[in-house]
Amino acid sequence: MMTYSDDHIALAAEYALGTLDADERALVETMMIVDPGFLEMVEVWDRTLAPLHQMVASAEPPSDLWEKIRSSAFPPKEHSPFTFSPETPAMEAATLDGVPEPVVGERPVPIADGEPEGDRTVVSTPVAASRGGRMFGAFMTAVAACLAAVISLQIYRPDLLPESLRIKPKIQVVEVKTPAPVPAQRVAVLQSNAAEPAFILTVDADAHGYTVRRVGAPLQQNRSYELWIVSGKLGAPRSLGVIDGDKFTMRDALAAYDPAIVNDAIYAVTVESKGGSPTGAPTSQPLWAGKLFESVPARESKP
Amino acid sequence: MSTSAELVWLLASVARGDEAAFERLYEATRAKLFGVVLRILRRQDLAEEVVREAYVKIWNSARQYNPSLSSPMTWMISIARNRAIELVRKRTEGTAEEQSNFELASDAPAPLSRREMTEELKRLLECVGRLEPEKQKLILLAYYNGWSREQLAAKFGIPVNTAKAWLRRSLIEIRACLGLA
Repeated sequence: MMTYSDDHIALAAEYALGTLDADERALVETMMIVDPGFLEMVEVWDRTLAPLHQMVASAEPPSDLWEKIRSSAFPPKEHSPFTFSPETPAMEAATLDGVPEPVVGERPVPIADGEPEGDRTVVSTPVAASRGGRMFGAFMTAVAACLAAVISLQIYRPDLLPESLRIKPKIQVVEVKTPAPVPAQRVAVLQSNAAEPAFILTVDADAHGYTVRRVGAPLQQNRSYELWIVSGKLGAPRSLGVIDGDKFTMRDALAAYDPAIVNDAIYAVTVESKGGSPTGAPTSQPLWAGKLFESVPARESKP
Repeated sequence: MSTSAELVWLLASVARGDEAAFERLYEATRAKLFGVVLRILRRQDLAEEVVREAYVKIWNSARQYNPSLSSPMTWMISIARNRAIELVRKRTEGTAEEQSNFELASDAPAPLSRREMTEELKRLLECVGRLEPEKQKLILLAYYNGWSREQLAAKFGIPVNTAKAWLRRSLIEIRACLGLA
């Protein structure tokens, strides 16, 4: 078990506390996938801070929420939902034995400023926080410690890194042009911190192809940048191809993946030998990572 | 509030695919999860969506819950709160309505009497209480309102880098105080 610096510890703690911005969260989530020790540290912080919830006033959700949860959680089956549930006699007995019935909801206490009357037209779908992925390629496990150290050094102390790993501060304003909106258009900014975007990744509306624009990353002479899709659902990182020296690289490499995975995955860039990793797995630590954001929302098509 | 023991039992049944147990778990915990999430998102519709997703995740991953590590509420709150934070961080620009709520929400919730607190909470609050008063407030507002460093910096009238340094130092101190490995 490796020991972690205060920088790591603070990063894990701030993730659990919730103060990191979206890009830093994506980086932490990458580290959680590749480094089980770091994941555990985040989980310890989650558990440490969670008791604070006891001081938050309860609020009663709308009565139709249960129906929505039920229809999302239980896949539609032939049977009626009420015939499935087996009685659980032991549980009934426990209740009779004096374990109090749940009373939450009996006295709903509104939060301080009341509940905003909803305009309900904007429905954003939160992207799942990918905490999974404990199973991972042996190789990535080996580089995990290294990766975590490099990424956090890039965030906190870039001056400690050798020149070759330092990210040159190079800020450019990038305008992402998108076609007329019908399905959602998604964009990821791959970076090591918010001020230094290295690549802009745009995924086509059908989630089959992507375009990468090199922004802040320095041009490589004898090496190649390689783009990886990283998801707990995929196991090891999968290559999406080499990002050429050109400003724009377009490929159809996402067609093989489930759009849900494409939308939730983390995208990372490594520096590989010219032409890409010879093994099909990353041979160096990711220097930049990010998750997709909707840059243009899907046009609502409500029933 | 249901006892932790009953919730552990319900979660174990949920892990076996017991839909009735899942409904009871929902009945017992929905108001707390909704309260936590609504305080962060400050919009009923978004809070509903996040709580819906959180319960679907609880249903799908109940067998990963380990009662020796945390209480059921702690586990479920973490799932819901994490989703809420993820969503607010992605919605960078707030509406005017949300901006005004932002001001209204500036205070941490009223403290419970010690009698109502779990041992875990007492220990944590003792350690938070050892921080300087402003840093105590910083940590609590960050947790309750789900604020980013930028929002905290604006609230306290300090540069973002100072907010980051305060957070870092406070969290490291809390860790030492709790004796976390």
